[in-house]
Amino acid sequence: MTTTPHHPDPSAATTSPGVETVDVEPIAVVAEVESAPHTRRVPPGSWRLAPALALVALAVVGPWLVPHSATEVVASPAIAPGGDHWFGTDSSGLDVFSRVLAATRNDIVIAIAVTVVSTVTGIFGGLLIGMNESRAGLVGWAARISARVLDLVQSVPAVVVALTLVAFFGTSLWSMSIALAAILAPNQARLVRTEVLQVRTEAYLDAARMSGQTELGLTVRHVLPNSSWPALENATVVFGAAILLTSTLGFLGVGLQPPTPEWGSMISTGASDAAVGRWWSALFPAAAIVVAVAAVAMAGQLLFGRRR
Amino acid sequence: MTAFLARQRWWLGRVAVLPVHLLGFALAVFFLVRLIPGDPVLTLLGGQNATPETIEAARESLGLSGSMLDQLGAYFANVLTLDFGRSMITGQPVWETMTTRLFETLELAVVAMFGTTVLTLAVGFLVVMKPRNPVSRVLLAYTRSAGAVPDFVLGVAGIFLFYRLLGVAPAPLGRYDPTLLPPPDLTGFPILDAMLSGDTALLQSMASHLFMPLMVLVLAYTPLLLKLLVRALDDAVDAAPTRFRIASGGSRRAVLLSVARRAAPPAVAMLGTLFGYLLGGAVVVEQLFSMPGMGQFGVNAVNTSDLVSLQGFLLLVAALSLVVFLLVDIVTMLLDPRRRPGRGGEGAA
Repeated sequence: MTTTPHHPDPSAATTSPGVETVDVEPIAVVAEVESAPHTRRVPPGSWRLAPALALVALAVVGPWLVPHSATEVVASPAIAPGGDHWFGTDSSGLDVFSRVLAATRNDIVIAIAVTVVSTVTGIFGGLLIGMNESRAGLVGWAARISARVLDLVQSVPAVVVALTLVAFFGTSLWSMSIALAAILAPNQARLVRTEVLQVRTEAYLDAARMSGQTELGLTVRHVLPNSSWPALENATVVFGAAILLTSTLGFLGVGLQPPTPEWGSMISTGASDAAVGRWWSALFPAAAIVVAVAAVAMAGQLLFGRRR
Repeated sequence: MTAFLARQRWWLGRVAVLPVHLLGFALAVFFLVRLIPGDPVLTLLGGQNATPETIEAARESLGLSGSMLDQLGAYFANVLTLDFGRSMITGQPVWETMTTRLFETLELAVVAMFGTTVLTLAVGFLVVMKPRNPVSRVLLAYTRSAGAVPDFVLGVAGIFLFYRLLGVAPAPLGRYDPTLLPPPDLTGFPILDAMLSGDTALLQSMASHLFMPLMVLVLAYTPLLLKLLVRALDDAVDAAPTRFRIASGGSRRAVLLSVARRAAPPAVAMLGTLFGYLLGGAVVVEQLFSMPGMGQFGVNAVNTSDLVSLQGFLLLVAALSLVVFLLVDIVTMLLDPRRRPGRGGEGAA
């Protein structure tokens, strides 16, 4: 055999029919070619992950870094930014900088919980619905009805549903996470279901069936890894949506209740300040929301962006 | 006659399932209320004082007495006759209160939707036709950040800038100057009523009061629509039918028309979602600019734990959204026959 591993020459293998291993060799060569440029280096544009990572880091350590208490009155109200209070104090004398920093954890914890719960349940639900939709009998009917329900749930404004859910089930960190996850999971399930219907027509599923794979094994081994990517890709969008919904509820005064630091509720108290010219108590939490959502969107674009 | 019906089946069938969807949502709300731990009325009221009579009346209108089957029957009887009970706080009938407010919110959402659509079409045209233009690059970047700047942030910024600093906008308190008389109740839509009654002073006041809330909605939600329009146009441009038309020597106009026609259905489908967003945005904007409407009604109901009003609010908004989705579905099926039921294959939704 004349071909060397690092400089394979496929034509040499195919033009020498006398060699006994000829129909095995090209496969090995192709594998060699694909693994050849395997040099470890940082992919280009990785810096775009940095803001999102910094955000998570701030959520972890933020509450310990605050210079003042985030939930107690620490100074006289309406001090302009500068000096001891970098972002000033709001109309009741709470330190804006400390609150913006401490709120990071609340907003990010909800967003992470919502993303994980809605993506996992979405993938599971989408898989369940997609795999059973063409079945006869009750299961098939249930799956087909669920698929329609997923479409319909999309039509009701998320803010309205969120408003009612938090009214019904309370505004603790966890009940809010679950309420928002319930709102955002149907879309994840829809994305997965569409992909499952696509994957189900693939030939490799027939091959797996013929080799004696059970339907459950087939779903876990082949359908799950091939059809969950749309939901994973959408996870950063869900994360952003969760932050926006949390802060919108806070702004409407029905989310996490003050004095728990939360960006949305800070903006709602800051709005009346802004109307009389004290811009700082609304500006900084607003900037925090925009930066957080943009940071996550940027990371998502790096990880999954293939088109605008 | 039967042939006519068979040909019209695609939309008749879609209209016929609407009541089923509505009942499904009503059923979901029924069980949602029962998921509230403990006695829903007492749980929600918490420490607030309500007389035993109001609590009993609330249970009555929510259908919370008797066996589960009795409850379901009573609930559906109430919903079907549009009897949503009386507010636990004010004692006003919920349905009457909601319908007057619904028109105010609908008007806001529809005008904002019109503005968003026009702006999206204008900007989308520029971005797709002249992708290298610096202006369209800036616009595309803004579109990519779609939704990062939430509506209430834009609103607070607008109030600070235009009301406080520049003093060109009126105080964010209501739809018109509170010293003016409200428009006569002709259609229920405030702007339309003011126009019909020919009250120019009122109309002027409305224009200046509503300009900022509408701009907030338009600027906050245009990127979402634009992103999808640009994507749909890109897909349509980069498709075999476009190449076929160019290759067979079609005029520029014919090519563009074909692109627009193929991009239209996904863009129209997006309008339904946009309407949902705008209803949600209206909730926020009404709160920020102290405008009466459905949003304020809902937020008040949450803040006062008024379960009866809240249930009515959810049912009405859900019903409205379902009707809008029905319209959007029919329009997309009208534009793209491949989306009609019973026509499988490529493009069938």
